[in-house]
Amino acid sequence: MSATADPTTDAVAARTRTRTLPRVPPSVAVAALLLLVVVVCAVVPGLLAPDSPSQINPLEGLQPPSAAHLLGTDALGRDVLSRVIYGARSVLTGPLIVAIAVLAISTALALLSGYRGGWVDGVLGRTMDTLYALPPLIVAIVLVGVFGGGYTLAICVLIVFNIPNSFRALRAAVVERRGLPYVDAARSLGVPPRRVMLQHLLPNIVPLIVAGFFLRLTYGVVELSSLSFLGLGVPPGSADWGRMLAENRAGIFENAWAAIAPGVALVVVTVSANFVGDWLYERVEQKRRSR
Amino acid sequence: MSRRTFIAFVGRRLLASVGIVLVVSVLIFSLIHLAPGGAEQTIGGRFATPEQLASIRASYGLDDPLPEQYVRYLGQVVQLHLGNSLTRREPVGEAILNGLKVTAPIVLISFLLTSLLGTVLGTVAAYRRGAILDRVIGGFSIAGASVPTFATATILLYVLGVQLGWLPTAGTGEGFVDRAGHLVIPILTLAIFGTASLMKLTRARVLQVLEEDHVTFARARGLSERHVLIRSVLRNAGVQVITVVGVLLLSLVAGSILVEVTLGLDGVGSLLVDALSARDIPTVQGVTLLITVFIVAVNLVVDLLYFAIDPRLRARS
Repeated sequence: MSATADPTTDAVAARTRTRTLPRVPPSVAVAALLLLVVVVCAVVPGLLAPDSPSQINPLEGLQPPSAAHLLGTDALGRDVLSRVIYGARSVLTGPLIVAIAVLAISTALALLSGYRGGWVDGVLGRTMDTLYALPPLIVAIVLVGVFGGGYTLAICVLIVFNIPNSFRALRAAVVERRGLPYVDAARSLGVPPRRVMLQHLLPNIVPLIVAGFFLRLTYGVVELSSLSFLGLGVPPGSADWGRMLAENRAGIFENAWAAIAPGVALVVVTVSANFVGDWLYERVEQKRRSR
Repeated sequence: MSRRTFIAFVGRRLLASVGIVLVVSVLIFSLIHLAPGGAEQTIGGRFATPEQLASIRASYGLDDPLPEQYVRYLGQVVQLHLGNSLTRREPVGEAILNGLKVTAPIVLISFLLTSLLGTVLGTVAAYRRGAILDRVIGGFSIAGASVPTFATATILLYVLGVQLGWLPTAGTGEGFVDRAGHLVIPILTLAIFGTASLMKLTRARVLQVLEEDHVTFARARGLSERHVLIRSVLRNAGVQVITVVGVLLLSLVAGSILVEVTLGLDGVGSLLVDALSARDIPTVQGVTLLITVFIVAVNLVVDLLYFAIDPRLRARS
């Protein structure tokens, strides 16, 4: 800082800055940073992990944290820190697929249902109400458990049963905008319904979809890691946080970090994603109310 | 609304609920036929000889037409005969009753705590909007609602059980006090999750109602703040809150499955997960049916509560 700082120019600078950049609360900034770290771990785990995630050392099982193994080792002597870093891949991949699929399908259905109305809306609304009553996690536990379909089936079930929640929010947004002048204007100009939905309505609900993405991601991580914790979904031995927590629970007195570290990592990811999603959602809501 | 229309409404909803249970029961019945290897393989195990498989087909009536088998299954279920567990030496019904002794207290107590704390703290946060208390509650509600229950349970177990040694670390325990001690961590885990979720919704809804004209008008008439809170705010917020309370109760059941497995409690959740990994389909069918009936019952009660709270619905029917 120079000693000749002019208070007026500072004030002007501050004002323009707030106008261009949204004020991000510190909690959200920290959350976004943590998510970024997890994403980096998922993309280039090899650069960060000190060891191989799958190298078994039977003689070094369940060691407490040391200089060689910062978080100690699991029952098979694998380096816990490396497994946690590689686990970032598993924790993001499935939930990303679920979140994107849920949003794509529920957006399409919400546009159709909300804009068209009539019997389409009736049928879709009824179906979604019925599905909404069923908790996705319980359905996934039973179906994946009985059919043993593994990861693919788990993801499919979670996609289907997470759609209703997202559909309801997006449909309400479409219905609210359907009556606005720009939609009426487009319609009276003879724009076909498909284009009204895709070029006029869709861009206006994009902020809501983006906010929803982080919330979907949170649910996806919770549900998929719960399944892998129960031994459903990911194959045994994979570096998956839910799986690691289940496998290392027995050794909690020897090396608690083998179970606690993946647990803490899961908490970090879900809480961060929810903080970011919630903040985005609040911003969208605020804009809507101030209009 | 007259008593007769109310009874008609309840009857209609009851009938619809029974219908849904019947539809799901068809799916549950078909689980044993759809399971890999088919019904006789599931019952006989992987190493059953062809002769054994044939005798199973005969004694279980698996060669009869499917509708006939379904009707027989339904007849047994109605008499509460849920069949015999394939791995435990006891009927499925008994295993479920034993499991409920653990699961019911966990779910019910955490549900009561959740409903009370969630609505009260959510309302307080809305009234103290922007204050430090509101921010603390807000931060807790975002964090608590998003953490997987098995992770919370493990971390609580490590801190309260292993590090501080205040609470037992595994199992169900003997005698009342010991049993109660074993239930603290599961209840705490589910209550944190539930309270956080409910608080967030209550706060948002109460804030919305506080901005509505009828609240301003009630205040302008000079009604006491307590009167406004109870008669105008809570009553209007109630409908949405109750929907979420219903959904929440069901996610506490899902949470209980995970918490029981995490802490080694032999409740209904552990029963289900063990039965799934042992391919004990009759037990899976029994537990799934119980959960279905519970889900439908909760939704029915939620629908009836709408009526009790919202006079507009009563006027419409």
